[in-house]
Amino acid sequence: MKELINKLSKDFNITDAVYQRPSLTFVTVPKGVAISLVTDLRDYEGYSHFVMMSCVDWIEEGKFQLLYLLHNPETKTDIGVKTFIDRENAEMASAHHLWKQVWTYQRELKEAFGIDFPGSPRVDEDFVVEGWVEMPHMRRDFDTKEYSENTYFPRPGRETNDPATYMRKKLYPNEPITAKKQDNDK
Amino acid sequence: MPFTAWSKVVKEPVTIKDPLNREAAPRYRGFHDNDVDECIGCGTCEAICENEAIDLVPVDGIETKDGDSGLRPKIDYGRCCWCALCVDICTTNSLRLTNEYKWIDTDPDNFRFVPGVDKKDWYDKKDGWRKPEPNYEFYGLKRVEMGELHPEERDDSFIEMIQGYSKEQAEAEADRCVECGICTATCPAHMGIPEYIKAIRNDDLEEGLRILYDTNPLPEICGRICTHKCETVCTMGHKGDPISIRWLKRYIADQNPSEKYKKILETDKLTKNGKKVAIIGSGPAGLSAAYYLSLLGYDIEIFEKLAEAGGMMRFGIPEYRLPYDQIDKDVNYILSLGVKIHYNTTIGKDITLEKLNEDFDAVFAGTGLHLGRSTRIEGTEHKHVYQSIELLRKITEGEEIHVPEKIVVIGGGNVAMDITRSLARLQKIKYGKVQVTATSLETEEKMPADREEVVEAREEGCVVNPGWSPQRIEIVDGKIKGLHVVQCLSLFDETGNFNPQCNMKNENFFEADMVVESIGQGMDLSYISEPTKEHLEMGPRGRIKVNDYFQTSVGWLFMGGDTIQGPDVIHGIANGHKAAVGIDNFLTKK
Amino acid sequence: MINKFLGFEPDKEKLPSLTAKIGDDIDLSSHKYQKIWLGPNHPGVTGNMSVELWVQGNTVVKAKTHVGYLHRGFEKLIERRLFVQGFPTSIRMCVAEPDTNEYLIATCTEQLSGYDKAVPEMAKWLRMLSLEMARLQGLLRGVPGQGGTFALGLGVQWGVYLRDLILDRFEELTGARVYHMYIIPGGVRGLLPDGFKERMEDNLRDIDDFIIRIRRLMFHNSVFKKRAKGLAIVTPEMVDKYGIVGTTARGCGVKRDVRKDDPYLHYEQLDFDPPTDTDGDVYARTWVRWQELIQTVDLIRQIMAKMPDKGDIKTPMPNVLHWKIPKGETYVRLESGRGEYGMYYVTDGSDKPRRVNLRGPSYTHAIALLEDLLVGADVADVHGIMVSLQTCPPEIER
Repeated sequence: MKELINKLSKDFNITDAVYQRPSLTFVTVPKGVAISLVTDLRDYEGYSHFVMMSCVDWIEEGKFQLLYLLHNPETKTDIGVKTFIDRENAEMASAHHLWKQVWTYQRELKEAFGIDFPGSPRVDEDFVVEGWVEMPHMRRDFDTKEYSENTYFPRPGRETNDPATYMRKKLYPNEPITAKKQDNDK
Repeated sequence: MPFTAWSKVVKEPVTIKDPLNREAAPRYRGFHDNDVDECIGCGTCEAICENEAIDLVPVDGIETKDGDSGLRPKIDYGRCCWCALCVDICTTNSLRLTNEYKWIDTDPDNFRFVPGVDKKDWYDKKDGWRKPEPNYEFYGLKRVEMGELHPEERDDSFIEMIQGYSKEQAEAEADRCVECGICTATCPAHMGIPEYIKAIRNDDLEEGLRILYDTNPLPEICGRICTHKCETVCTMGHKGDPISIRWLKRYIADQNPSEKYKKILETDKLTKNGKKVAIIGSGPAGLSAAYYLSLLGYDIEIFEKLAEAGGMMRFGIPEYRLPYDQIDKDVNYILSLGVKIHYNTTIGKDITLEKLNEDFDAVFAGTGLHLGRSTRIEGTEHKHVYQSIELLRKITEGEEIHVPEKIVVIGGGNVAMDITRSLARLQKIKYGKVQVTATSLETEEKMPADREEVVEAREEGCVVNPGWSPQRIEIVDGKIKGLHVVQCLSLFDETGNFNPQCNMKNENFFEADMVVESIGQGMDLSYISEPTKEHLEMGPRGRIKVNDYFQTSVGWLFMGGDTIQGPDVIHGIANGHKAAVGIDNFLTKK
Repeated sequence: MINKFLGFEPDKEKLPSLTAKIGDDIDLSSHKYQKIWLGPNHPGVTGNMSVELWVQGNTVVKAKTHVGYLHRGFEKLIERRLFVQGFPTSIRMCVAEPDTNEYLIATCTEQLSGYDKAVPEMAKWLRMLSLEMARLQGLLRGVPGQGGTFALGLGVQWGVYLRDLILDRFEELTGARVYHMYIIPGGVRGLLPDGFKERMEDNLRDIDDFIIRIRRLMFHNSVFKKRAKGLAIVTPEMVDKYGIVGTTARGCGVKRDVRKDDPYLHYEQLDFDPPTDTDGDVYARTWVRWQELIQTVDLIRQIMAKMPDKGDIKTPMPNVLHWKIPKGETYVRLESGRGEYGMYYVTDGSDKPRRVNLRGPSYTHAIALLEDLLVGADVADVHGIMVSLQTCPPEIER
C-alpha cells in the first residue's frame, strides 16, 4: 500500500495519507486533482469497484470533506480519496462518467449538503426529501431536534426533574452551592 | 403447479393454537418493572435513554433523603424502543424489563407510567430482560487503587502515606462517575461534586479548582482527611465501589500550584466594602468564614490562640494523614487575600469579646472542641494518664512526650486511631517495636472510626481490641500496671440513652505503663464573658442556640464549626460559608 | 406476457421504435406512451419504494426510481447520539437484516477507539452466529419471495413459517424478534441460552427439508423457469461499471464475497465457498441464493460446533456516558444477504460521531442498475426484477 501511495505521490499532489488498516488507506488531495486521481486508480491501478461517495461537514473549518472510496478486487484493498472544498457555494467536478452509480451519490450530496456537481445527470432532482424547503438536511448546522420541536406537537404532560436540583429544593433550599450548578438550574 | 405444492396438505397445521397466550422467551424485552425500594432515583436511565422516553418524577410514599432523590423513572411508551439500555446501565440493578408484551388500553395516558409504582399485571413475572452476565458493565465497578506506602515503609515515620492519583488514575476514576449528583445533598458543604469530577475528565483542572472554591476553601485539607460522607451515598457503591470523591478532590488541588490560585480564582483585586469582621479561631469554620467574607469585601482579622493556623486540622490530625505544608498551602492562600491573623492571642485573656464587638461590625467564633473528656474511672488522676487531644497537639508542636514501652488507648473513634498510630510510630522510632493497644466500648462493627483507619492501625502493629468497658487503672507503687476492663454488651438502652451494659464476669486486663483517654472532646466557652453570656440562649445538649445562618441570640455574634455541628472539617467549612452569608445579610440590612 | 405463451407476437411496426425513445424526449401527449406508478406500497418483499414507469403497450421504455417514503434521517440522528446509543437507531436502516447494522456500528467504534483487538472470542462467535441467522431468515423470505413475484405464493408461506422459527431463536438469544439490538460496542448482550443449539438444530432440519421442497416448487417449475430465465441479465462487464455486489454479482460469475475477500470475525475458520452461476439473469441470481441457503445452514452448524461454550461477552470499556473517541475515520464492510454492506464512520474527538454513512447494495442496485435493467422489460416482470436485485429501500434513504 505504501509503495502505491509513494508512486502516486509523484504524479499527484497527495497532501496526507492515513494508513487506517493494512487494507484501507485514506489519501488527501487538492480539489482539482481528485477526479484525475480517481480516474487513474480506476484505469491503471485496478481500483475498479466504486464503493461509495460521502461527505463530512467540518463546519468549524468551513469545509466539506468529499470522499471517493475505491476498492481493488484483485488486491482486496481500499483507497479513500479525500478532498476538501469550501462550504460556501460548494461545487465539485462531477465524476458521473466514471461509474454508472456516481450520479446518484452526487444527486444525494446536492440535496443533503448543497454541493453542486455541474453536468451530473438529474443532479437537481429531489432525492429522498421531496419538497424540502429548509437548509440541506445533513449539514451540521441543521438542528434536527429544533426542527422537530418546531414542526411537530408533542403530547403534553411530560415533565422531569434533575435528581441533584430536586434534592436541593427538597432538602437544602437556602444553602450556598457551586456557581456551576446555579447556571445549570437556570 | 408441481405436485410438491400439495405435499403439505395432510400435514398437521403449524399455526400457534392460542396466539393470545403465547409466552415470550425468558430474555424477551417487554414492559418495564422497577424495584422501587432498591431504586434511588439517580436518573442514569434517563441519561442513557436515546429516545428521551424516561422522566424522573416524585412518587407518593418515597421520601427524598440522603442517598435517595425520592424520584422514580416514568416511561413514555410512545417513545420507548425497548432497547433496554436503561436496564443495562442501572446502577442499582433495580430496573428490568419483563417478558410481557401484550397490553391493550383505550386511554393513551395509561401508556405513561411509573414502573413498580403504578399497578400493572406483569410485575409478578420473573422472566424478562435483566442486565446480562457475566462481566457486562457500562462503567468500571472497581475503584482505581490508590498508591499507599506499605506498613513497613510508614510505621516509623510521619511522612504522608497516601500518595495521590496520577493523571491517568484520576481520569480513569473520574470516568466512572455517572453524574447523578446524589452525593451533593449529603455533602455538608453541598460541593459541586459531579461538576468537578467532570472537570477532571475534561482535564480542565483550573475549572475544577474554581468549582472547589465555590463551596470549599480548604480543598488540599479536605482532599486528604474529609469524612467523605458523599462516598457513602455514591450510586456506584450499590453494585461496586463508590467513586473516590475525596482523592479526586485532592488531585485537583494538588495539581494546581499555589502561585496560580489568585489568577485562576480571579481574586487578584477584591473590592473592599469597608466593614470589618473578627473571627475567633483559625480552624476550618473560621478560615471558611474568613474566605467567603473576604470575597464579599470585608476586612477580616483572625484571632488564634496557638502559634500557627489550622486549629484541629493542624494540632489534632497527625502529619502522616495531613502534612503541614498542605495545610499551609490552603491557609496561606486565604491569608493572601488580605486576611490578618493574630497568633498567640486568647480571647478573654489578651482581648475581650466585648472589645471585639466594639472594634468590629460582627464576630464569628469557630472555637472547636479542645477539651479532652475523661472516663473518670479509678486511677485517671495519675500523671501518666493523658488526654489524646493534648498529646496530639504536643506532637505537632514538636514537644517531647512520654512514650513508654506499653500503652493502652481508650476510645474507638478516629482521634483514638490517630493517637494510637502516632504513638506506635514514636514507639517504633524509640524501641524498634510497637506495643499499643486500643480498646473501645463499641464492638468491632460499631466502632465509629473509619474502617481503613482500623485496618491500617493493625497493619502498623497496633492491637485494636474493641468491645471492652474500662473499669479501673491498676497502679502499684505509683506506677501504672495496666487497665482492667469487662466485656461491654450494649451501649444504649431501649430509649436510646447512653447506658452501657456490661458482663461483669468476663474480665480482661491490658498491661500498660501509660493510658491515653480518647473518648471525645468538649468545648471551652470560657472566652465568652458574663455580659455577653447573659444574652446567649442555649439549645439542647449543652450547645449554643443558633439560627439557620449560625447567628446566636446575641446578634453580632455568629458561631459555627465543631461547637455547633459535626465534629468534622467539612461541617465546619459549610458552617463558616453559611455564616458568611448570614453576616453579610446581617450587616447589609443593618 | 400471455402473448409469450400463446406464441403470438404483436406487430410492433406501427409503434415507435423502443431504442430510439430512451431518454427524456418521451412525449406523453403523443398518446403512444403511458405513465404508470409502481408503488409506493410494498412491491413484493422489498419495502416502500416506487418506480415511475413509461410504458409503451406492455413494454417499459423508461423507469425512474423514487425513494424517500421511509426516510427518517437515521444517519443524522446517530450523529446526535452517544456512541453506545447508536445501535438502536442503526438497526432500522435495514429491516431485512438488522444485525448487519449493529455489527457495523459496533466495529467502527471499536476500530476507531482501539478496542477492536479486545473484543472477547465468545462475543466474536456470537456475532457471527447472529449475522448468519440474519442471513438465513432473510433468505428464507427472499428465495421463495422471488417466486412470489411471479405469482407463486405458496413457497413464501412455507418460508415465512420457517423464518418465524428462526425469529423464535433470535427472541431467545437477543430478547427480540426483529430488532434484536444484540451487538453493542465491545461485545454482545448475552450468551446462548440453555438448549439453544438443540432447538436450532431442529429448525435447521426443517429448513433442510424446505430447501429440497422449494427446489422442486420453484426451480423445477416451468412457469418460473420460463419467466425468470433470460430476464434482466447482468453481465460481468456491468459489475464494476455499476458497483454490483453480492449474489447479484455472483449470479453472473463474478465471485465477490466480503467473507472471503476481506475476512472479518472468524470467517477464515469456516469452510465454505461462495456459490456462483454464469447466466446473470433472475433465475441465476435466485439459484445462487438457493445455494447460499444451503451454505448458510451449513455455516450455522459449523459456528455452533466451533464456538466455545462460555466466555466473556463484552470487553471492559470506559463509562458509556462519557466515552469519547479520538478524531479518525474508517470504513467497515461485511457481506450481507444482499452483498457488500459497509459503513463509513467519522469521529472528531467528541462523544458523538461526526458522520455515519451507510453503503447499502440497494443504493446502486435499485437506482442506477434497476432503471437501466427495466428498459425493455415487460410490466409484469418489474416486481420480479426488483426483488431479484434484493431492493431494500430503507438502506437507500437511511
